[in-house]
Amino acid sequence: MVKEMTGNHIPLGLIGISHNTASVEIRDRVALNEEEQKKAIKIISEKFGVEGCMIVSTCNRTEVYISCEDPKNEIPKIRIWLDEFKETTYFNNDQLIYEMYGTDAVKHYFQVISGMDSLIVGETQISGQVKEGYELAHNLELTDSLLNKLFNFAMQVKKRVRNETYLCDGTVSISFAGVELARKIFNSLKDKEILVIGAGKTAELAAYHFMENDMKKIHVVNRTLKKAQDLAGSYNGQAYGLDELPVILKKVDVVISATSSEEYVVTAELMHNIAKERHHQPIFLIDLALPRDMDPEIQEIDGVFLYNLDDLNEIVEMNLKKREIELPKSHKIVDEFVMEFQKWNANNSMASIAGRLKKQLDTLRMNEIDRLKNHFPEDGLNEINLLTESIINKVVRQHIKSLKKNASDPERFQQHVDLIYNLYELEKD
Amino acid sequence: MKLFSQILSYTLPFLYLAVIYFYYLIFLGKDKRLISKTTPMLIILLILHAIEIISRHVAIKAIPLSTTHDAFSFLAFSILFVYMILELSLKNKGSGLFILSFAFIFELFSSFNVSWTLETNPLLQDPSFAIHASISIMGYTALGLSALYALMYILQNRNIKKRNLGKLFNQLPAISYLEKMSMRSVMIGIILLGIGILDGHFQASDVMGSFWLNDIKVIVIDAVWIIYVIGYFISRLMKWRGIYMAYFSIFGFLFLIIGGSLVIYLSESFHVFY
Repeated sequence: MVKEMTGNHIPLGLIGISHNTASVEIRDRVALNEEEQKKAIKIISEKFGVEGCMIVSTCNRTEVYISCEDPKNEIPKIRIWLDEFKETTYFNNDQLIYEMYGTDAVKHYFQVISGMDSLIVGETQISGQVKEGYELAHNLELTDSLLNKLFNFAMQVKKRVRNETYLCDGTVSISFAGVELARKIFNSLKDKEILVIGAGKTAELAAYHFMENDMKKIHVVNRTLKKAQDLAGSYNGQAYGLDELPVILKKVDVVISATSSEEYVVTAELMHNIAKERHHQPIFLIDLALPRDMDPEIQEIDGVFLYNLDDLNEIVEMNLKKREIELPKSHKIVDEFVMEFQKWNANNSMASIAGRLKKQLDTLRMNEIDRLKNHFPEDGLNEINLLTESIINKVVRQHIKSLKKNASDPERFQQHVDLIYNLYELEKD
Repeated sequence: MKLFSQILSYTLPFLYLAVIYFYYLIFLGKDKRLISKTTPMLIILLILHAIEIISRHVAIKAIPLSTTHDAFSFLAFSILFVYMILELSLKNKGSGLFILSFAFIFELFSSFNVSWTLETNPLLQDPSFAIHASISIMGYTALGLSALYALMYILQNRNIKKRNLGKLFNQLPAISYLEKMSMRSVMIGIILLGIGILDGHFQASDVMGSFWLNDIKVIVIDAVWIIYVIGYFISRLMKWRGIYMAYFSIFGFLFLIIGGSLVIYLSESFHVFY
């Protein structure tokens, strides 16, 4: 296979559906689970003229990357096959699908792994999912040197974007915003106890995020004790009735409230007394209820930090804006790596051309020596061999030197490659 | 050597400023790459400052701790040193701007007070003077850091209370951590300054024949130290809230510094007793 003979310099193609083009229902429908991915990679590799194939499939995107001589020729066929495979028509709907080739596909892959193209810009989960997609194909031995190198470069892009920009910094989920704030109050949550007031879905989710961050103990207070016991039981915690609230408030560090009560569950007066008894040791209150469970006046009490749903939403919005600001810096890093990848690809092509050219010229040389060997004295044949070999090496080197000069200009590079192939009648495969 | 030391003395404040500017950029979140470059800068600054102290020691052929210049220079150096250890161990660079600015003030003050006239007080000839001076300065450093941590505590507490969750909030550590560091520094400061003061009294007793010198400087420093001790124990006993402790730490140190500075300027030398 002669990769350098393709039209777009880097012989890479991609077909995808993502949150940018399709609704969640469609994305769900086209998503490929692990088994489907394995099957698809195997079939695409066998059935179509591709050298390497890998898939990125998450709830927000399904993308198939192929490496082959002419991806523009193969992608339409793969689109038809994918629709047959998933029993849909989406892969052939131009409104939903995007195709990219060469450097555009490389750039897109780099942007995907670093979270720049994610629904929530800067999310970090995607890099793990991209890695899984690559490893799955790699373990099946269905990635070629181009895809291997692409992944290798992509990992470096991800690392630099995370180290050199604030794109992935700051939480963008309300629950995590609460956890992050708690860390700014208590530093470590390991020896801290949490009280959850209410046992509904919201309370449960918030409790889950805090307990995931190694909090020492959970206490659950609820009007219906049974529900409190169920939630507390999931984390080996303790359950209480609502009447025990003042006692528990004295010993906990974080309080999450998410009840459907029409009145304040935690009043300013109650909290004043509690703060006094706690010697104003810090306590972090999160009011996730609508209408509110906690009297806003509580905020004025020394040592008490009260945040409600709107406050946490504001933090998330602020962090998202900060991430948007970091996008240009991240694009710059991606562009740098795309150029590096182009160089690598050009060098890789050069090595392949050099090998073919040398082989072709060697064949010509050996043919000529064979034809004329009777005209030379026997003891001079060795010198002639050495001399002609040296001339060939110099010719090859001269071509490579000239190719290197054009490596940064894909069009001129390609013209030069074509010239060499035509001039020396090199075999394309 | 004298010229070299003098040039370095005048250059150091600028170097401190350069490093502070670096931390300012980190504080603004301009370029995340800068974060990984602070440690080498701190080490270089620390080495240069150490060279300045050593070169001065060689030039004056005495322990460079007796003059105002030396005391403030050593104070800045020890703040820088303690901060570097904190930064390396806690991996938090958010307080760098504050702590290094604090060290810079002392370094600047030191540079404006370069003096090559050695004091002839017999107290300074005593070999244990170096112990007294260095331990006392380390004590001041700890109390100074405590005040800084307390200031950061107040700022961060206010940030979280008022929902000012901007750059300052992001860069400053957690309030519990700041409170703990402030308290620990006060404790270390009290112990070190206590040892330094006691050592000074013993020296006075040996050289001048009196344990209690009836001198305003000694009275001021001893009084501040006693206030610190009493304040600290009361705060522990009464379980003072963080904000009160923070104000105690800040005002205690301000009193110490203002009192000490006044004493230095009102008298011929810190080590001339009446």
